[in-house]
Amino acid sequence: MTNIDDLAIEERIKELFEQNYEMMRLEGGHALSADTKQSALNQVLFYWRKLREVAENVTDTEVILSLPEQITPEGRKYTIEGVVDIIREQDQTTMYDIKTHDSDYVRGNVPEYEKQLNVYAHIWQGLRQQELDQTAIIATSLPVTLREAVRKDDQRYITKEIQRWQPLIDIPFNQEKVAETISEFGEVVDAIESRQFQPPSLEKLKGKLAGKKITFAVQVCRNCDARFSCSAYRRYVKSSSSQADSLLSRFLNDYGSDAEREDFLYANLENIPDIESFDI
Amino acid sequence: MSINLEKLWQLTQPEPFEPNLNQKRAILHTDSPLFLTAGPGSGKTRVLLWRSLNLIVFHDVKPEEIFLSTFTEKAAFQLKEGLRSLLGLVTNLTGKPYDISKMYVGTVHSLCQKLLTDRRFLELGQRSPVPVLKDELGQYFYLSRRKYWQTILEKADFDLDIAQATINQFFNYNSISKHNAVSNCISLFNRFSEECLTPEQILARIQTTPVDDPDTFTNLTKLYDEYLRSLQQSNPPQADFSLIQQYALNFLEQSPHSGNIFKHIIIDEYQDTNTIQERIFFKLASGFKNICVVGDDDQALYRFRGATVENFVQFPSRCQEYLNCSATEIPLNINYRSRHQIVEFYNDFITRQNWRSADGKGFYRLVNKDITAFNDDRTTSVIASTPAKPDLVCEEIALLVRDLINSGKVTDPNQIAFLYPSLKSKQVERMIDALEDVGLKVYAPRARRFLEVEEAMAVFGVYLLIFGKPVRGDFRGADYNDFHQWLNNCQEIAQNLIKEDKALKAFIEEKQEEINTALNDYRILSEVAIAHKWDKTQFYDPHTMKRLLYSARGLSNTAQKNLGNVYFDRLVKQKLETKQPLTLSYVINASTSVDWSVLDLFYRLCIFNHFKEMFDQAETGQDEGPICNMGLISQYLARFTDEYTNIITAQFLEDNRFQLTLFMGFLYSLFRRGETEYEDADDPFPRGRIPFLTVHQSKGLEFPVVILGNPRKDPKLQRVEEIVKPVLDRQGEPLERMAEFDVMRMFYVAVSRAKNLLVIAHFKGPGQKLTFPFNEMLNDRTIARIPDFDPHSLPEAKESNDDLPKNYSYTSDYLLYQRCPRQYMIFRKYGFVASRSQTMFFGSVVHKTIEDLHYLLKAKKGTQNLD
Repeated sequence: MTNIDDLAIEERIKELFEQNYEMMRLEGGHALSADTKQSALNQVLFYWRKLREVAENVTDTEVILSLPEQITPEGRKYTIEGVVDIIREQDQTTMYDIKTHDSDYVRGNVPEYEKQLNVYAHIWQGLRQQELDQTAIIATSLPVTLREAVRKDDQRYITKEIQRWQPLIDIPFNQEKVAETISEFGEVVDAIESRQFQPPSLEKLKGKLAGKKITFAVQVCRNCDARFSCSAYRRYVKSSSSQADSLLSRFLNDYGSDAEREDFLYANLENIPDIESFDI
Repeated sequence: MSINLEKLWQLTQPEPFEPNLNQKRAILHTDSPLFLTAGPGSGKTRVLLWRSLNLIVFHDVKPEEIFLSTFTEKAAFQLKEGLRSLLGLVTNLTGKPYDISKMYVGTVHSLCQKLLTDRRFLELGQRSPVPVLKDELGQYFYLSRRKYWQTILEKADFDLDIAQATINQFFNYNSISKHNAVSNCISLFNRFSEECLTPEQILARIQTTPVDDPDTFTNLTKLYDEYLRSLQQSNPPQADFSLIQQYALNFLEQSPHSGNIFKHIIIDEYQDTNTIQERIFFKLASGFKNICVVGDDDQALYRFRGATVENFVQFPSRCQEYLNCSATEIPLNINYRSRHQIVEFYNDFITRQNWRSADGKGFYRLVNKDITAFNDDRTTSVIASTPAKPDLVCEEIALLVRDLINSGKVTDPNQIAFLYPSLKSKQVERMIDALEDVGLKVYAPRARRFLEVEEAMAVFGVYLLIFGKPVRGDFRGADYNDFHQWLNNCQEIAQNLIKEDKALKAFIEEKQEEINTALNDYRILSEVAIAHKWDKTQFYDPHTMKRLLYSARGLSNTAQKNLGNVYFDRLVKQKLETKQPLTLSYVINASTSVDWSVLDLFYRLCIFNHFKEMFDQAETGQDEGPICNMGLISQYLARFTDEYTNIITAQFLEDNRFQLTLFMGFLYSLFRRGETEYEDADDPFPRGRIPFLTVHQSKGLEFPVVILGNPRKDPKLQRVEEIVKPVLDRQGEPLERMAEFDVMRMFYVAVSRAKNLLVIAHFKGPGQKLTFPFNEMLNDRTIARIPDFDPHSLPEAKESNDDLPKNYSYTSDYLLYQRCPRQYMIFRKYGFVASRSQTMFFGSVVHKTIEDLHYLLKAKKGTQNLD
């Protein structure tokens, strides 16, 4: 393909992205801030630039996998579902799971992904009765250095960072643990069906996430709107409070940093409709 | 191992399936149109299941080549899971796997949406524009937005001063209310769309056919035209529930492949389909001609949604018309559900009406159905109360119900269902009181408004304290008065809450303070602009404006911080560099808006004990009632932010505009529309409670004991029927008979839900009346009365076990739960809408675009190979 074709495809990606964004925004009601929206688009654009070989050869996209007739330890029937992309070549079939995660995080947590992809592989092989040779994760989140290059809009720097980026992570293909994972899955189904929804322990909140430098409380809880009514997060706030502020005021003033506030305002102010048109 | 259908039937759990002759014929029919007339309880779902299995396993039809439409998502889910389970049985025997994830099973609306993105209909690489779907509430808000409404009224040549009165008058309402006018228009517009009528066609008919008030009719048609145009021209295009079908039909008409994608079209509840749906189905069936419809004209309930029972009654001639071939008719007329007397009762009921057509040559229903009960138990199974005044009747029935529960003839109170034409009636209130008086609990989610549940009143009560209560005007309307009463009650509840909780009180005061600060800052900054003769629409120039704004006398620290912080500076700079400078108005709004949205406020309220306890109770599975309602409140608040705005600016707060928009715009609309309580689709009949349902809700269901709580519904023709009749192509039932036919069918559905016992309330006295033919049938001496009935003569009801396997996703269930069970509960199980979290949306839009990219590249490759 010529460069003109490539440019045409990038233009098409931008169009498709914009259409999808608008549709989902109207359906889901929430807007992304301009920066966040751009970084979502960049994930697709750079996926295409970096993993063109993969993208061009996908044979089945967004395949729904389902494994029916599973029984939980407590005897409930259920079905496991998942979605993957597949590349079938003459002599080999690879299964890809595209994640908007960071590739370093994925490398640091291979066992977690290994469990998932091997369950998917098990379903695929049973369903299609086709052998699978390889499984991999595509982690589309741009590394910090590449993001920096994009921000500076320096073509040479970008090209260099694209080369250094390793978004494709092979996941060991190993069917031994499938039964174990499915059994854990069944336990979770039982817990959900029997309405066990207590938050994690204070220790888990204070602990660092595997492969990351930040704690569960900062990464997960701080991004969760339900934290205000959460007993575990409340204990966390109390225990980590060095200031004399009351628990309540620490909670109530928790609207995020200035940058987040600006993002929130900015994402939404653009969508402020004409107040005169509101019905009263 | 070789298998056949008979062998599979024997292996079916919990007992072998022994189809009757006609069921078997239906299952084995695989070629050409099939017309299944299925009486109540005749096992049609089973027939559909086995017929689909037969096609997939023994006739090599791929699951994705079957289009199976049901009336509800729940019925679709049951069929899909049932089929999955039967196919699993086959796989166990033969080792051959089946994947039904791509099979089309769902309601017509969901399948239409699926069709629109189905690439099999497109030429390689094409992409069809899929409209964004507006639900009923969205459609209502879209039309009733004042500016929009006035604009389209004007374009449609209405005189704005009297437009609403004129429209309402046309619908026989004496009212000037916009709510009524919009609701009336919606019913008419939807009907136009469902009847596949274009504005041009309607206008032409008005010219050539005599209609009432042709001028208003003409203007309403123009209004419809404007409505359609504005939806189509929005970017992306939008559609309401009726128009999504129109989109699908247009899409199919443009595709050369439409008739050749699905080898089998199967439509359940065909009596409740409408004209546009019929066209879609026949279009899809035009290639293979395998269309199978299942239904019962006596159970047609949805004329008010545009359904035409003629689609079903005249199916054989429609097959001739569309496909040029004949249909095989197979009646499923053995009832496996009800005891003998019940079947006799409803057969008698339906045939008392005269169904003969006006010309005397035929009937408006399929006659001679000859439905017989499989169950040969002829002991008493239909009884009526002693004829008496309502209070006495309710008391007698309540005692009977208590006896039935105590006798162990039902395993749970939820096996006794009370059915009513409408749940918003005095008779329902009386009956609930009578049951509660004898210590029984009821479950009647549709009997009251969602806004009247305790949780909603507490939350909105707090919002009233923060934003202030709208002043009551001089209007006299009943809705208006009720709504103001509701506002008062909410406020009172919230006032009691803050008496108990000082911190909540402080929180409310703090929010009020923030609002006042924002308002004050807004005035100050606006004055600066005026003093320097800046127009608010001009671009913000930090060099000349920032200092003057920042140092304005009396400006709060908050606004100063907003104007002066580095992030804001960065944003201003970025915008300047990209040649999209911010306007002064943007800068003033941004620095004088409060930090939170209505949803943020909601989540912060949950800090306080009254609300937090609801979450605590749900975490341990003690009580999920309150959290279900809280989830629904979050959805309505999110709806508010969608319809209006997420950011509360001082400009919006000024002159109580925000207060009026939230309460008198948004919540008053919900109130008037009577939006009902949360219902759990997975668990519609909670244990320990006696369910109260409308007859419409009971469609497709059965109960060991059914109590018809009010055998009265006065036939009333809907005005929209009179309006559209003259402009329709096909002439169905005559206007003067429609209403009585519909009442007959509605009660036929009600009485045929009963398995073991049907109880009918027999009201007598001043102002009491029974609908025909109940008046004849209940005054008949042979009907048994409650005092003569011995509950011990009843067979014991079986425990109903329709627990279906559920689908669990690896990422959005298993992994999410493992991360945080509580977060899973709130956002996934109880459907709370998050206020700030963007991760879900982010992931979806990336995945969807990558999927599109893959299709694009595949198409490109395809064309290159062709070269």
